[in-house]
Amino acid sequence: MEGTGTRPIWTFLIGPYALFLLFLLVVPFANVAVYSFHPYSPTKVFLPELTLDNYTRLFDLYYGRLFVRTLRLGLITTVVCVVLGYPLAYFLARALPRVQALCLFLLIMPLMVSAVIRVFGWIVILGRKGLANQALAALGLEPVRLLYSETAVVIGLVNIFVPFMVLPIMASIERIPPSLEEAAQNLGANWYQMFWRTILPLSLPGLISGCLLVFSLSISAFVTPALMGNARERMVGQQIYDEVLVSFNWPGASSLALTLVLLTVGLMFCALFATRHASRREAAR
Amino acid sequence: MPRSVELEVCELTKRYSQEVSVGPISFEVYEGEFFSLLGPSGCGKTTTLRCIAGFEELSQGSIKLRGERLDRKPPHRRDVGLVFQNYALFPHLTVFDNIAFGLKLRRLAKSEIAERVGRVLQLVDLADMAARFPAQLSGGQQQRVAIARSLVLEPRILMFDEPLSNLDFKLRTQMREDLRNLQRRLGKTSIYVTHDQTEALALSDRIAVLSHGRIEQIGTPSDIYERPATAFVAEFIGSSNMLRARIVEGGDSGMIVVTDAGLRLCCSLPANDEFDASEDVSILLRPERVQVETPRGGTSPGQNRVSARIADVTYLGEDLHLSVDLVSGDRLRASLKNANAARGWAPQQAVEIVIDAADIRLLRR
Repeated sequence: MEGTGTRPIWTFLIGPYALFLLFLLVVPFANVAVYSFHPYSPTKVFLPELTLDNYTRLFDLYYGRLFVRTLRLGLITTVVCVVLGYPLAYFLARALPRVQALCLFLLIMPLMVSAVIRVFGWIVILGRKGLANQALAALGLEPVRLLYSETAVVIGLVNIFVPFMVLPIMASIERIPPSLEEAAQNLGANWYQMFWRTILPLSLPGLISGCLLVFSLSISAFVTPALMGNARERMVGQQIYDEVLVSFNWPGASSLALTLVLLTVGLMFCALFATRHASRREAAR
Repeated sequence: MPRSVELEVCELTKRYSQEVSVGPISFEVYEGEFFSLLGPSGCGKTTTLRCIAGFEELSQGSIKLRGERLDRKPPHRRDVGLVFQNYALFPHLTVFDNIAFGLKLRRLAKSEIAERVGRVLQLVDLADMAARFPAQLSGGQQQRVAIARSLVLEPRILMFDEPLSNLDFKLRTQMREDLRNLQRRLGKTSIYVTHDQTEALALSDRIAVLSHGRIEQIGTPSDIYERPATAFVAEFIGSSNMLRARIVEGGDSGMIVVTDAGLRLCCSLPANDEFDASEDVSILLRPERVQVETPRGGTSPGQNRVSARIADVTYLGEDLHLSVDLVSGDRLRASLKNANAARGWAPQQAVEIVIDAADIRLLRR
């Protein structure tokens, strides 16, 4: 019964967090958006007149390369996470509850370590005199330069983001009854045919959300590329950091940030639209 | 004419652990036969089915399909259709694509697939549902899709794992008849797993009753019901009165048994049963064979007449269930049709129980 003067219950349920988001995300983000349309001034943060210069400069070769590199590293990280994470997710989804609990704990444990400590761990392993090169030396091979390269960045990112790939895929595979696998085999499908025709299409929603999560987290990564990458091959996050804290070009940093966000959101919509389309076509086939 | 053996299960054994095991189980299924595995949960019936389908590996024994070893083939090469308890339809595929699933794997021409799917859809009366998704169908329709999906591949054997247990009572009765008609029409060799004795009795040509991983008895529905081989079968199929008794007098035409409480009954035996005089036995008496009459005394040949008092009447609509205390102190259950004569019975009434000598079944203890 709706009486006058009583608020619907949902205002109490989502209200506090909505307020939190409004003041700590929406308002600052709107502020960033506003900054990005004002010219840079070394003395006054920004000048009052409006301009699109902050965006047009993004068409420079330097920024073009920056974005391409960022997207490429994000894509590689995502693909590696799928390759490593999907089989793991399948195993976990079909494992005994006790095994699953233990493995999930091991999977999530790296996330409980702070990013900086984890990266220093990698530096110890991948460094010039690190474990990896000592192992190579023991085998009589030349040491290789692993740290401060794109490879190191991908290794670091994959390390953090694999759980974000595994968890949604695992959740969607868990919802597929094992009897479906048996039914497919009973109808004449070998394991691979069964996988391609039942498990994969049915776990697609999980796979898509895993990819979106990992990709958007990767392209906005900062700590890992800053500590494990090299200064010449940076990602957008590092560039934003530099423009905010080194050159104090807040409008420039704002335009970069906004572009990154729009790119991410745009890609997400494309992906969601494509999967919707794909599942409908799959259904119609 | 002896029918040819389609499936031969020989000494099938499946050990899960030291304590839990199934088998050895042996049986044969003839061509065109509807064969049921009936038993309580945990008796090994589903394990047996899964062994035949290839989802479980045998610990020992063999399974042969037309004389050819089946148990070493992977599940996808067995040519044995299985209808799952939860139907296991592919939720992302339409009814048509669910049914076409196996045909596509066999790389048949599109036109042939369409034709065969169309035919089988007609058969299960779902021709206008081809474009629907499983979630848009009722339980009974999903069930028929599952059957069609197996049937379309024309497997040697069609197997059912408790296919009706997820349906409500009315639909279950309907589907039972449909299934029966379909199987009769197609003459498809079928193996049916159930814990529901009514289903097994109504559908089967032969039934194997299982308990604790062993076969208790294999026989036609009337064999199983009228001539149960063991006390377990007698208790599991239908309800029964079981009384402990001892044979006191044997003879060609019949014998006299006395229950532990002292009730004296004469019974006639099928010729092939041999019992020794003074052997301990259980006597089995189906409740619907216990006749209840108003007392009039006297005897008639081939009948036992015993004075009794009605202890309790349970009204079930179609039937009345009576508990009667005999003068000897034994208590019997009687099941009567709710028709004219039975409607007057009330507790505490003195009655006479009439039991035909031919209706008493003796089991060795």
